[in-house]
Amino acid sequence: MKNCISKPINRVDAPAKISGKAKYIGDIHFENQLFAKTVRSARAKAKIVSIKTPTLPDDYYIIDKNDIPGINRMRTVVSDHPIFAEDEVNYIGQPILLVVGPEREKIYEIVSQIKIKYKDEAAIYNLEEAEVKKAVFTEYSYSKGEPKATFQHAERIIEDEYRTGRQEHIYLEPQGITGDYKDGCMYIYGSLQCPFYIEGAIQDVLGWDSDRIRIIQSTTGGAFGGKEEFPSLMACQVAVASIKTKRPVKMIYDRDEDIICSTKRHPSIVRYKAGLNKNNEVVALDIDIKFDAGAYSELSPVVLQRGMFSATGVYNFPNLKVRGRNFMTNNVPSGAFRGFGAPQTIFSTEMLMHNIAVKLGTNPLDYKIRHLLKRGYPTCTSGKIRDEVKLPEIIEKVEKMSWYRRKIGKHKKFKGVGLSLFLHGCGFTGKGEATIKGKIILKKNGDTVTLKVSSVEMGQGAETCLRKIVAHTLSLPMKKVICETIDTGLIPNSGPTVASRTIMIVGGLLRQASLELKDRWNDANEIEISKTYKHPDFLSWDDDKFEGDAYPTYSWGTNVAEIEIDPVTYEIDVKKITAVYDVGVPIDEKTLEGQIQGGIVQGIGWATIEVMNSPKGKLTQHNLTDYKIPTSMDVPEIECEFIENPYEFGPFGAKCAGELPFVGAPPAVAAAVSNAMSVPIRNIPITPEYLMELDKHED
Amino acid sequence: MVDGFRPADLQEALEFRARHPSIPIAGGTDLMVQKARGFGLKPDFNKPLLFIGHLRKLRQISVRDGNIHIGAGVLLSELIINDKISEALKMAVRQMASPPSRNLATIGGNICNASPAGDTLPYLYAVDAKLILKSVSSERIIHIGKFITDPKQNTLEHDELLTEIIIPNKIFNVSYYKKVGQRKGMSLTKASFQGLADIKNSNVLDIRIAFGSVAPIIVRSREIEASIIGKPVSEINAAVPEILKKYATLIRPIDDARSSAAYRKRVSLRLLEDFLSKLS
Ligand SMILES: Cc1cc2nc3c(=O)[nH]c(=O)nc-3n(C[C@H](O)[C@H](O)[C@H](O)COP(=O)(O)OP(=O)(O)OC[C@H]3O[C@@H](n4cnc5c(N)ncnc54)[C@H](O)[C@@H]3O)c2cc1C
Repeated sequence: MKNCISKPINRVDAPAKISGKAKYIGDIHFENQLFAKTVRSARAKAKIVSIKTPTLPDDYYIIDKNDIPGINRMRTVVSDHPIFAEDEVNYIGQPILLVVGPEREKIYEIVSQIKIKYKDEAAIYNLEEAEVKKAVFTEYSYSKGEPKATFQHAERIIEDEYRTGRQEHIYLEPQGITGDYKDGCMYIYGSLQCPFYIEGAIQDVLGWDSDRIRIIQSTTGGAFGGKEEFPSLMACQVAVASIKTKRPVKMIYDRDEDIICSTKRHPSIVRYKAGLNKNNEVVALDIDIKFDAGAYSELSPVVLQRGMFSATGVYNFPNLKVRGRNFMTNNVPSGAFRGFGAPQTIFSTEMLMHNIAVKLGTNPLDYKIRHLLKRGYPTCTSGKIRDEVKLPEIIEKVEKMSWYRRKIGKHKKFKGVGLSLFLHGCGFTGKGEATIKGKIILKKNGDTVTLKVSSVEMGQGAETCLRKIVAHTLSLPMKKVICETIDTGLIPNSGPTVASRTIMIVGGLLRQASLELKDRWNDANEIEISKTYKHPDFLSWDDDKFEGDAYPTYSWGTNVAEIEIDPVTYEIDVKKITAVYDVGVPIDEKTLEGQIQGGIVQGIGWATIEVMNSPKGKLTQHNLTDYKIPTSMDVPEIECEFIENPYEFGPFGAKCAGELPFVGAPPAVAAAVSNAMSVPIRNIPITPEYLMELDKHED
Repeated sequence: MVDGFRPADLQEALEFRARHPSIPIAGGTDLMVQKARGFGLKPDFNKPLLFIGHLRKLRQISVRDGNIHIGAGVLLSELIINDKISEALKMAVRQMASPPSRNLATIGGNICNASPAGDTLPYLYAVDAKLILKSVSSERIIHIGKFITDPKQNTLEHDELLTEIIIPNKIFNVSYYKKVGQRKGMSLTKASFQGLADIKNSNVLDIRIAFGSVAPIIVRSREIEASIIGKPVSEINAAVPEILKKYATLIRPIDDARSSAAYRKRVSLRLLEDFLSKLS
């Protein structure tokens, strides 16, 4: 029987968004506001020799590195990105200065008169060059079992290499931030995911305590990770500008500017050496992961970690050696994007398993089943799979829904079926949750309950689901449970809205607080309860050795893709995706299905049509004419089901769900293409251009 | 200098054209993109705009002497639902842009924009469409192939407007169209192919072949078409390698952000081959 919490309700944010009443940062007028336009580097790597600026008319300003009272770096995992360039630039699009003033036309005129002289230096344009030049930001490794000895005795060794491409988020609303310095305080408004990340970044740049800084979220039109660290940079810039001009400063990108300078999904190359035993099972695996981090490291180390800890997918490889490296290139920086490093390695490992199976002449699903993780098994980092792994049920269900085995048996050229199995580690990686110690507050006032969290609504349905968790626990109608405005002056720091952690971690705290409030409901008219996250004692993690439980638990899934390829043009038509997930217990099936459909479509885009090259540090596809994401016409039929598997520490048994649906579609589609064309697929995006090359020997 | 003029009728529009240097704007779906300068800024028009999208005279579709006359201001969405328009043209138009853009975009704009990726062009070249160009004092009729000279270049005079497109009265019983884009909707063409043929008693009475997006202008060769006309369909198969070879020299695509020259060329020839294989 389905859990009652899963029954769909209407999204609380829908009426304002559908009617157009919702106010995005571009809709909000600030009295006396000024606009800002960024002057950016035109060079991939160069010294700035001189900057010539025209005489500025009244009310127009130039803001640059000299205006920063504190540290000229954006605070994040590695605080290496300058707020404004100093004497050098490291990528095309890097911010150098702002021109600020009341009229946009005049601002553009001033921008066009600014002359920057560069002295070019040798740049690094891609992973291959970076490896030769040893331009490494971060290198990690871990191992398990006896990989060396096992390889020596392996019956067979298979080596292979996989590549994935750059991806841009294309959130519907481009980046936009306003800074307002008033009465000695800094107010930042904007489209953002992580209010307290911005607070910290502003502290560094202004050298202030947090009590003079308030970050206030405006309605946010999509983010996908693209508004995790990037808005901190813009916020620091407008904050400095507002102090200098003593007026609110608004900076909103149009799409082209947004694409040129915002973070992207890390392009990757993953190399494997697989050792097979006499039953042809993979018993030893050597994985070498390379990510293109772009010009600055920022939060790439954590992206790489998730990539490394997800690299074994749903499989148990007893002997394992994993090396991961983030390379420095003179490309636009890579950053957070739904899946956070895991989609790259899961794609590669899924395709490795698929390609080995095909090579051995076995059914890929049967081959994968022989390697599956089970409860009690060690994880790749020698932690423990503590909860039941319902992959057998998941596979059985998807098989009934899609007839995968029957369809793969009846193979016809240009028609294919492919299956992926995947997982996603719930919440922050490693020590993350234990360090952040998310805090929430629940406040009862009469018959109304206000929940105070820093988890934001950005289109994903967080507000609906968090309120629903509290309303259900207290048996209150939704309208009696409200969310405090996302304003760091009013809310505690429950952590950033990332890592699929909102429902499981923050929702989990809310559930605990609601249960307590339920007990104390009649004690007083006003009751305030606060809760702080405590990492379960049984989880252990060694951050130096990468040993232990990288994640508290995992969500699981499978996708079956059915595709057709145009025999003349090689265009891929994804006809249907059948999906089954174990996300614990869905908090709201409709909201979750929204995440699933969106994730699948975004994954199909990455796997097939989203090409973003940067040949000499300059993006070839830098507008929506050339960079294509799927439209409604490209969306296949999507059928999805859930297997319930309640998680003890999640609210109503819920685990993570936001990133998981993205992860599964690319390897399923690639496996289907491989099936249709009888060629191994090793790279995405699988464009018709690439497929035609692969199939060339055919005619 | 005026910023823009909205004439009451075609006559007024032509008079304005005669007196002022101007930029005609119909749906603006090409112009507004090309002239955009950035968020919150006025587009970059160096001459006054002449609004023509609303002119009744330009929005009619009629049949005269068996030929179809399409007003230059007819919307793409109107072409799709009009029963005088051939299925072949509708097929191309249905795959252009998106429903909202098709409610603004005009066939005249697509022609005058003169992009090698203009999706009505392969059909219009294939059927030998003629254009009526009017000024206050003159009118000329010109073959579409003579009008478009280079990418973004046409022979429109500063005082003229394109008023009508004439589709000659001619029936083709085989039609084949394929647009290759990056995705199914809202996508500019990487390569397109229009094939039309009139087959009677297993003989090729007429054949028209046009390629889009694979050369500076639409590729069509009367010479190669003439070498196929008159052949019994049974002989086409044997002639295919020779025909492909001839077209291969005319197809000169480029590498760009959306595709590669190699792909464009191969896919064009494969489409041609597929079309020819369907004749017999
Ligand atoms: C999102 C989007 C998707 C698109 N997809 C496609 C596509 O799939 N295929 C495709 O071919 N095109 C596509 N286009 C381009 C465009 O929509 C078409 O070319 C359209 O037909 C142009 O018509 P318009 O009326 O909007 O032209 P306008 O922009 O008004 O004009 C285009 C040019 O023609 C001139 N002009 C217009 N009418 C006349 C006239 N009567 N006499 C003289 N000069 C004239 C103008 O001065 C201008 O130079 C797309 C555009 C957008 C914005």
